Amino acid sequence: MTKIAIIVASEKLDKLFPAITLATTGALSGWEAELFFTFWGLLALKKGYESSGVSGDYQMYDAKLKEALASGAMPGWKTVLEQGRKTGRIHIYACSATLGLFGMKPEDLESFVDDIAGAATFLSRAKDAEVNLFIA
Amino acid sequence: MEPDIVVDARFKSCPGPLIALADAVAKASPGQVLQLLSTDPASPSDIKEWCAGVGHKFLESVKEGDVYAITIEVGG
Repeated sequence: MTKIAIIVASEKLDKLFPAITLATTGALSGWEAELFFTFWGLLALKKGYESSGVSGDYQMYDAKLKEALASGAMPGWKTVLEQGRKTGRIHIYACSATLGLFGMKPEDLESFVDDIAGAATFLSRAKDAEVNLFIA
Repeated sequence: MEPDIVVDARFKSCPGPLIALADAVAKASPGQVLQLLSTDPASPSDIKEWCAGVGHKFLESVKEGDVYAITIEVGG
């Protein structure tokens, strides 16, 4: 089975969207998707966390993006992820080292997180992926 | 061709139209004809690629104004 593996290292909307869009589109196409959230990306997995918006250089587009989300023209990243996860082919891992760095506990993570993992687990899952991305 | 089911995903950006179509296909039966209405200019090629990948038949894409009417047949 075709596989995509993505390291998600940012909680900015302009980084989360491509990661989740590709994972979900892959899953809907019959691919497996392995997503490893690390550093600032891990923040997006925290229960109730709201993204801080778009990346610093592009603040002028922040309102535009939020408007598209509010109107429904652009589905929110969690909605897209939920659709993809219905296939059972998207796996979400939280980086254990960053979890410790932020003083977060497993129970602080959203229910869609499959597991807490380290570098060896990600490498093992990613080694036979045809598409490997680092999004930060 | 008259579709069995019409999926209206107009004014939704990528990946909204594909998600809506995939959702409808999951509930449909093999041989049924579905038509996706989309204003996303990526939809004709995206849906064509998706169909080829997962085994549905891409029938046609017709553009009327800003709307693409994309017709597919659900594979077995």
